[in-house]
Amino acid sequence: MIKKIKPSKSEKIILIFLILLGSITFGTFFIIKNKCLFVKKYDPKNINFKNPTNIAVLNVPCGNVIIELYPEISPNGVNRFKKLIRSNAYDNVAFHRVIKDKLVQAGDLEFGKKGNLNYGKIGTGKSGLGTIKSEIDNVFNYTKGSVGLARSFKNDTEDSQFFIILQDEPLYEGEYTPLGKVLYGLKALKKIKSQRHSEYILRPDFINSFKMLK
Amino acid sequence: MKLFKAILLLFIFISPLKANTIYNLIKIPNLEIYEIKTKNKLKYFFAASSFRLGVKKNIVCLNPSKEDLDLKYKTIYKNLDKYSYSYLKKINLKYIVLCENLSISGINTAGIPDNVMKTLILDINFNENFFERVIHHEVFHIINDQYNELFEKTEWIKFNNSKFKYAECSTCTEKLGLETYKNTKGFFSEYSKSTASEDMAEVYSHMIFLSQKDINKIKKKDPVLNKKISYIENKIKEIDNSFTF
Repeated sequence: MIKKIKPSKSEKIILIFLILLGSITFGTFFIIKNKCLFVKKYDPKNINFKNPTNIAVLNVPCGNVIIELYPEISPNGVNRFKKLIRSNAYDNVAFHRVIKDKLVQAGDLEFGKKGNLNYGKIGTGKSGLGTIKSEIDNVFNYTKGSVGLARSFKNDTEDSQFFIILQDEPLYEGEYTPLGKVLYGLKALKKIKSQRHSEYILRPDFINSFKMLK
Repeated sequence: MKLFKAILLLFIFISPLKANTIYNLIKIPNLEIYEIKTKNKLKYFFAASSFRLGVKKNIVCLNPSKEDLDLKYKTIYKNLDKYSYSYLKKINLKYIVLCENLSISGINTAGIPDNVMKTLILDINFNENFFERVIHHEVFHIINDQYNELFEKTEWIKFNNSKFKYAECSTCTEKLGLETYKNTKGFFSEYSKSTASEDMAEVYSHMIFLSQKDINKIKKKDPVLNKKISYIENKIKEIDNSFTF
């Protein structure tokens, strides 16, 4: 007859410790490591849009970000943006400037392309199409999810770089050319790689693709 | 008490983010929003704590008390509300920074214009008697910096008596009085005599501040000021034809 042996107190503690260690290891590798795990995925094909010609789909590491563009507010800016999207110019371009929970910026076509990143010059690159005039006179509320054209220190220097804000920024009104607003997928943008002490990102995340819906 | 703590926490959590945005826009630290929803889209900030600026950190301004700020804001708003959005856009003025005891290298000053940053820093504690007029004086400096080639100093100097000479700079002289002369003799104030650009700013600020009737009287009485007033009027018309003094 086998005699049942009761575990000692220290054996119980070791067992609990091993279970905890296992849980942490599992969590680290399968849950925490996957930054996209709790990000809802959006498929534009399953959504009805009022004006599909003004819908752009930005695909980032954690899924689709669906953006509505406002040509009536910034005709030239949106025209430039659509032109670059339709030519697939933004595909494989880095989110080179990211401020956690505040802003993501991408669109340096010259120094921000995957495989051709230039950390010394990123953020200063051009599209080759020239700059366009700022369109800042129309009323536009820079609320969370607003998309705008980035520019250098001076007005009328907008080109290809754009930003999406992750919090309300009322001071941006009248300062930056608005392009549109994120309808779905803002959470995917919040998962874009950021760094604690610098706005400019080492080994950044990239845009997988950027397409117009129609 | 709990509500107060909650508001305080909210304020602490929100403020730095806003301050960062302001700093990114105009490169002045420690500012917070006072009012940004204005008719002519001027955005007003105030110094939440003192700040230092400039390469040598020689520009200093202190944070004002809430009472002073609320009181002076009304006066400043009333004066700057005279300018339309389109005019402000042309002269490149967008941000007003309100602070207290503004000084450059230890010398007190009413305002510091920075047309590159589209910003005008105003000392809300500046001499009460001239405060309102001085706001327009500083606005002119923004205009002058933005359209430097338009306001010809050599042309301006010719309006004065040939024996008259301006000082080398506005702080290189003791002529700092802002009181409007009763007997003008070509200059609105003692400070007008410091430099050509200060003279222009004094003429502009008086044109804004005085009634059209008073300006017409001065024009009739003082041939030098008549020329100076017409000069400023014409140059401003070149910038914005719809602007009226």
